[in-house]
Amino acid sequence: MVVDETPIVSIENLVKDFRPGFGLRRKRVLDGISFEVRRGEVFGFIGPNGAGKTTTLKVLMGLIRPTSGGARILGHDISEVGFRRHVGFLPEGPYFYDFLTGRETLDFYSRLCAVPKPERGRRVEELLHKVGLEDAADLRLRAYSKGMLQRVGIAQTLVHDPEIVFLDEPMSGLDPVGRKEIRDLIAGLHSGGKTVFMNTHILSDVELICDRIAIIANGRIVHEADAAALHAATGGEVDISVIGLDVGIAEGLERDFDVQMEGRGERIEIRLASKHVDEVIGRIVGGGGHIRAVAQVGGGLEDLFIETIGANRQQAAR
Amino acid sequence: MSKRLSVIAVLAGHTLRDAIRNKVLYVLLMFALLMIGMGMLLATLSYVERDRILQDVALSSIRLFGAAIAIFIGVGLVHREIDRRTIFTILSKPVSRADFLVGKYLGLVATLWLMLAAMSIGFVGVSLVADAPIGPSTFAALGAVGLELAVLVAIATLFSCFATPFLAGCYSLGFYLIGHITRDLRAIGEASDSEMMRTATAWLHRILPDLESFNWTIEAVHQLPISTSEFAWAAVMGVAWCVAFLTVASLVFERRDLR
Amino acid sequence: MRQWGTGAALLLAACCVIGLSHGKLSPLPRTAADESYLPDPAMAKLTSFGFDALLADFYWLQAVQLLGGPEGARGKSHRIGALVDLVTRLNPRVDHPYRFAALWMTDDLAAVHKANVLIQRGIEAHPDDWRNHFHLAFNYFFFLGENQRAAEVLATAVVLPRAPVYLGRLAARLRSDRGGLSAASAFLATLLQGAEDPQAREAYEQALQQVETERLARVLDRARQTFRERHARDIVSIDELVTVSPSVLERLPPDPFGSGWDLNKEGVIVSSGIGYRYVPQIDATNRQRIRQTTEGRTSGG
Repeated sequence: MVVDETPIVSIENLVKDFRPGFGLRRKRVLDGISFEVRRGEVFGFIGPNGAGKTTTLKVLMGLIRPTSGGARILGHDISEVGFRRHVGFLPEGPYFYDFLTGRETLDFYSRLCAVPKPERGRRVEELLHKVGLEDAADLRLRAYSKGMLQRVGIAQTLVHDPEIVFLDEPMSGLDPVGRKEIRDLIAGLHSGGKTVFMNTHILSDVELICDRIAIIANGRIVHEADAAALHAATGGEVDISVIGLDVGIAEGLERDFDVQMEGRGERIEIRLASKHVDEVIGRIVGGGGHIRAVAQVGGGLEDLFIETIGANRQQAAR
Repeated sequence: MSKRLSVIAVLAGHTLRDAIRNKVLYVLLMFALLMIGMGMLLATLSYVERDRILQDVALSSIRLFGAAIAIFIGVGLVHREIDRRTIFTILSKPVSRADFLVGKYLGLVATLWLMLAAMSIGFVGVSLVADAPIGPSTFAALGAVGLELAVLVAIATLFSCFATPFLAGCYSLGFYLIGHITRDLRAIGEASDSEMMRTATAWLHRILPDLESFNWTIEAVHQLPISTSEFAWAAVMGVAWCVAFLTVASLVFERRDLR
Repeated sequence: MRQWGTGAALLLAACCVIGLSHGKLSPLPRTAADESYLPDPAMAKLTSFGFDALLADFYWLQAVQLLGGPEGARGKSHRIGALVDLVTRLNPRVDHPYRFAALWMTDDLAAVHKANVLIQRGIEAHPDDWRNHFHLAFNYFFFLGENQRAAEVLATAVVLPRAPVYLGRLAARLRSDRGGLSAASAFLATLLQGAEDPQAREAYEQALQQVETERLARVLDRARQTFRERHARDIVSIDELVTVSPSVLERLPPDPFGSGWDLNKEGVIVSSGIGYRYVPQIDATNRQRIRQTTEGRTSGG
């Protein structure tokens, strides 16, 4: 997990207006966004629906032309074509030619990327193995489940061994098992030294795999943070559920750490600020109590997300 | 350069493979073959020159259904890819939009030529059965149909870059119809007293593709010799029109936002 | 199962209603009522959008169908002319339609003139085909009595590929002896030989029979002259040529129409089947009379 500080993607003051129809007023979808993605990191680009995440990604992929401002990937202007040999892209809910088999699909994309012939077959097999589609490789894509399609999609982003991959909502619409599979694949990419740029609104995934995040709302970047800073910045509370807690110890906890307690039969739920977790658990265990569960309550990214988006909405309303 | 060419070839092959799966194509092909067969039936209504009527009907059917297939598959060229959202993954690869368009276009031309070959076999078949003449003019005329279809699908490709398939179909059909009458219009204009009329019809003939230069039906059916130079110039003009339409198409497509 | 039954019943009912309404509706296209309408050739060419050959076939088939009725081509010269004009403007390379016009546009002199314009166009489209020249010459000779023009046209046809050698002799004869019966039968025999359809063949055969009748009638005329000289009186009936001795004829030649010879009201020897004498340089009224009698004969017997 080596994170290089040089930017692999740099976006500067990107503006995009859409004109919904002739004569109608332009609608500003991206309002001067700027940020950077560093080599080797997993970058989470998060925001509510309609905030401009996919538009940003499509601008980066050259699918949408910016109204003003620009961006560079691997030092190349995004209007160029050649550097895309080193870039992978997974669109949201990817669609492929359903009359091709999984193997044919990967072969097609590797040809498009001009992967040399001897390497092509080997890479395709390797990727089929990597995304776990060896058994379904010769089935037509119309027989694939959503999770399988997503895995073909990821394999497709990797056929030409890119340095950076852009994923648009890679986990949306998948069941928990599928989500975990994709998450593991992304983690694998990360440890393989690839840079990953990921659009998502599933915050728990972001917390699990992202090194850095940027939050976008109404076409503006409203927050940018490292994962470490994120953890530090957000406090939150912890619930501990205990059985066999001594009454004296319980009173001591209430006095010293300002905890809230609630009895449910013989089980007692204790809520406390997360910074006191270690000490409180030490006392409980020392006093002969048995801990049944510990859980984070609120805080983390979700609170941050809701706070920043809420603040932004209020600002916009004003 | 060779990489670009190989990308175009990959896209063309893929487009051909995709296009020939379309069932509508086979329905149209069936109709065309049916019409070619119908020519035999219609010919019996006349007591003379049955060969002529048979081949007129058959060759006209080939041209008509060829044009229908060309417009049908051409107008969906860009739209279908966007609609199926398959275009995103392709264009995020090192594939320029112009290469994408040219590759798709060539795939469609290949599809059309395959269809044309099938219809031509039908044409030659009924001609042999009816003992109607087949000669160099026949094949030249069928080749010219192939050129016309290539131009037509280039026109449809251009419109598919910015219009819905229905509108693109209407525009392409308009071009097809006008393209077949600019010569007649020019002749009418020349017979007119008005200088403006003469100039207008002459320019109309110049700036729109003159599709009648690919129509050798009468020559083929009557086994008239086709001048090599005229055929060659028609071919040169056809290729030039394809290049022109595709160039405009890629300029338009280059600017388009693929949402 | 019940759904199938309902479906089948509905389908059957629908088919019955469709069949019923077919019976109530006229099977003819509504436009057929206004038969006279034909598009302007230039407009038709423009709106054919390159399918001019196909459209030409469409109108050609209409022209061919015109002969299908009980009246044949009679009274249809104008429409045939309009259709052939359309056909040949849409596709000048057509071959037979030019001669078709010459063959069937014989209602009156105006029709023959119009036909000549069309066949002249045919000569321009196919300058090497002697048959178009031949038809034009025939029209000049047979309908218009312009033997000199007919001879000129034939003279140009003589040198064309595959032209019969006797065209030259025919032209020479037309120049010298005002045409005559032998020229007419030579023309008709050639036309009969080249006739492409049974209807045309029948028409030529009838015309040939008439020429033959005329030739025999002239033989009888000469016998009658001899009779007058020998007996110093005219015949009362045709039979006297054979029965009054010394007879001028051993027996009467058979009438090609099979109806026997007769003297008409004017005292002219005629085939009773026709009732009048054939004139090689036929004009429209004469032609009309011939046709009426021949048709009366064919339909009557």
